[in-house]
Amino acid sequence: MKIKIDHKTCTGCKQCEIICSLAHTGSVNPWRSRIRVYVGEEFCYPVIAGPYTEAACNSKGTRMVEGVEVDECVTCRASCPSKSVYKEPDTGIPLKCDFCGDPPNPQCVQWCAPNCLTLVED
Amino acid sequence: MFGWQGKILRIDLSRGTWRTEALPTYLMQEYIGGRGMSDRILFDEIDPRIDALSPENKLIFSTGPLTGSGAPSASRFMVSAKSPLSNCVSSPCCGGYFGSNLKYSGYDLLIFEGKSPEPVYVTILNDRVEILPALHLWGKESYETEKMIREDMKARFNLDNWALNSMGIANIGPAGENMVRFACIMSDGGRAAGRSGLGAVMGSKNLKAVAALGTGQVNIADVEGFRKAVMSFYMEARDSGDFRKRRRYGTWGLPGRANASKSQAAFNFKDGYFEKFVKYEDPEVIIDLIRVRDEACFSCPFGCSKRSRVKNDPEYPLTAKGPEHETMALLGANCGLGDMEDICRANYLCNELGMDTITTGAMISCAMELFEEGHLPEKDIGYPLEFGNTNMFNLLKQIAHRQGIGDLMAEGGIAFASHYGHPELFMGIKGMGIPAWHPQAFDALGLQYATCNTGGSHTKATMPFYEGRKDPAFFVEFTKKDQDYLATADSGILCWIIYHGPEWGDKMAEWLNYVTGTNYTKATLDPLGERIWNLEKLFNMRAGVEKDSLPPRITTEPRVKNRVVPLDKLLPEYYEMRGWDKDGVPTKEKLEELKLEKEGEGVI
Repeated sequence: MKIKIDHKTCTGCKQCEIICSLAHTGSVNPWRSRIRVYVGEEFCYPVIAGPYTEAACNSKGTRMVEGVEVDECVTCRASCPSKSVYKEPDTGIPLKCDFCGDPPNPQCVQWCAPNCLTLVED
Repeated sequence: MFGWQGKILRIDLSRGTWRTEALPTYLMQEYIGGRGMSDRILFDEIDPRIDALSPENKLIFSTGPLTGSGAPSASRFMVSAKSPLSNCVSSPCCGGYFGSNLKYSGYDLLIFEGKSPEPVYVTILNDRVEILPALHLWGKESYETEKMIREDMKARFNLDNWALNSMGIANIGPAGENMVRFACIMSDGGRAAGRSGLGAVMGSKNLKAVAALGTGQVNIADVEGFRKAVMSFYMEARDSGDFRKRRRYGTWGLPGRANASKSQAAFNFKDGYFEKFVKYEDPEVIIDLIRVRDEACFSCPFGCSKRSRVKNDPEYPLTAKGPEHETMALLGANCGLGDMEDICRANYLCNELGMDTITTGAMISCAMELFEEGHLPEKDIGYPLEFGNTNMFNLLKQIAHRQGIGDLMAEGGIAFASHYGHPELFMGIKGMGIPAWHPQAFDALGLQYATCNTGGSHTKATMPFYEGRKDPAFFVEFTKKDQDYLATADSGILCWIIYHGPEWGDKMAEWLNYVTGTNYTKATLDPLGERIWNLEKLFNMRAGVEKDSLPPRITTEPRVKNRVVPLDKLLPEYYEMRGWDKDGVPTKEKLEELKLEKEGEGVI
C-alpha cells in the first residue's frame, strides 16, 4: 500500500499535519507530524516522512512537479540533520510515517477533505 | 491546560520591552478568547475617548481556544483596537497561518502598547521574542515585506525552508505606514484583517510586521470524542452540494447571485444590478480567466479562497489572493469597473499597498460620483474619473502614499465628501464603507449594517438568505441573535464564513467542549455573546460614536426594487428586542442581567 498525492488538489489546509500529530501524540502540533505540507505559489506539496538518514546530502538540485520547478530538498522524504521537519521538536528524535498501523489506515488520508491524499495498492 | 495556552504576551513598543502574563481565568470563562477577550481588555485598559492613532491605543492580536486545535475552519486570529475610521472598538479577523503560529508559540493574546521611536518588526519563535529594526522594510509593499523578513530570519535564526514556509507574518503596506484611515493588516501574501483601519494603528506605532513561528502544541481534552466528531462533520460535509460549491467557487458564485436578486451594489449604490457582470454569472468563466489554485486557511476543509493572477501582464507578475465577492462588488461594480482582469489588478494593488478593498471602493465610487456630478473638479485630481475609468489605479497609489488628492481621501469618506460639500454621497456607516450587498434588497441587511458595533461591516451578522421568510419581526430577531452568536464565534475563533447563522451555535459549543473540556451549550453561549455585544456598545458610547443610521440614499431614494430601508421602523423594534431604550442605550435592567452594571456607570 502507498499514499498517492495529487498536487493539483492540495489546498494547504494542513489538516493532515493536525490529525497525524493528534493520532500519534494525543495533542495537536504540526511539528510532531509525519506528514508536512509545503505551501507554494502555484501548488502545495504534501511530503510524507521516510527513513532517517545520518548525513545531509547538501542537494542543491530541483525537480519538476506538475510542470513547476521545486527545490529538491523540499520534496525529499528523508528525515535528515539539515532539515527542521520530521523530528520531535524537544528531543530531535526522527519521525517516520507508519501508515497508522496494520492493516494500514492512514489518518491523513481519512482527514484529507480535498481528496488529495488517497491510499492505493502498490 | 486544554484549548487555551494560558499566556498573554505584552510588548511595550515605547520602551522596547516585553513580558508574559498569566491569562486570567475569568477571561476564559466569561469571554472565551479572540474578540471577547480583546474587547474586555480594551475596555479595561484604554480610555475610549483617546485618538485612535495615539500611542495610548492598544493593538491586540488574539487567538481563541479553538485556534490551531484542528476544529474545522478554526484558523483565524482577530486584531482589535479602537478604530481610526469609525472610532468604534473593532475586531477584524484574518485567516491563513499567522493565528495558529501565534497559538503554537504559546500565547493566546499578543498586546502591543505605546509607540516605537523607530520603525520595528517583531519576531516570535516560541518564547524567544525579539524587537528588530525595520528601517529597511519601511516603504516596502506587503509581498516584498514578507519576502525580506523571511530572508532576515533565515540569516538571523538559521531557519531552513520548511520553517520559513510554516511561519505566519502579519504586516502593513505603505498605506498603514502613512496612516491611511482604512489601511489593513495583511498576512500570508494577500489575506487581510481588513475593515476599520487597524493597519493605520499599526503604522502609528511604527510597527511594520509581526512574524510568528510556533513549534508548541494545543492540548485537546477529549481526543477520541473530538476525532470522531470532526470525522463525522467531514463525512457530512463531503456529501453536501454546498460544500462542493464552496470549494469550487468560494465567493465567486456571488456576483451572479447578487445580480439575480438585484442586490449588487453598483455605481455608488445608485443601482442594484450591474450589466457588465452578466458574463460572470457562471463562475466557471472567472475560474478560467484568473484562477491559479484553491487555497485554504490553516485547518479548513472548505478552502474557499482562490489565488489569482492576471495572465500575460508583466506589470502584475505575482499571484494575489482573491478578489473575493466584496472586492468585485466595491472595487468593481460599485466603481463601474466591469472587467474581471481590471478588478484583479485593483485587488492586487490594494493587497500590496495594504488597503481595505471595501472602504477603498466606497471612497473611489464616491469620488467618481462627485466628479460626474461636477462637484469634484478635474484639476483637483489631475485626470478624468468617471465611473469605470481605470485611472482609479493611480488613485489607489495616491491614497496609499498620500499624494495629491489622495492625502485628503486617506482621511476617510466623511472628511473627503464633506470637503466637496456632499457628505451624503459617501456610502458609509460611521465612516466605514458599506459592503457588497445592497441593503435595499433586504431590509434586514440595512438593520444589520446600521447597528453593527464596528461600523458598516458584513461580518458581525450574516445576510439571511431565507426564502419565504420576509416578515420584519423575524429579521429583527435574526439580526439580534446572529450578532450575539457571531460575537462568540469570533471569540472561539470559528470562521464566520463557514459557520454563519445562529443555528451553528450548537456546533460551536460542541467543538469548545471537546477541545477545552468545558460544558457549554448554545443556551449558555448566547448570553456570553450578548454580553460582548453590549460591552462593545458601552465602549462606543463612551467614545462618542454617532447614532445608528444609514446614508440617506438607502433610506430615502428607492433605487432597488422601488424600496427604501424603513430604518425608523426597524430600529425601535431592534432596540426593544435588545432590552435597550428608544435611543439605543442599554437599560439598567439589561446591564444587571448581563452583569455589566459597573461598566455602564456614567453612560446610561
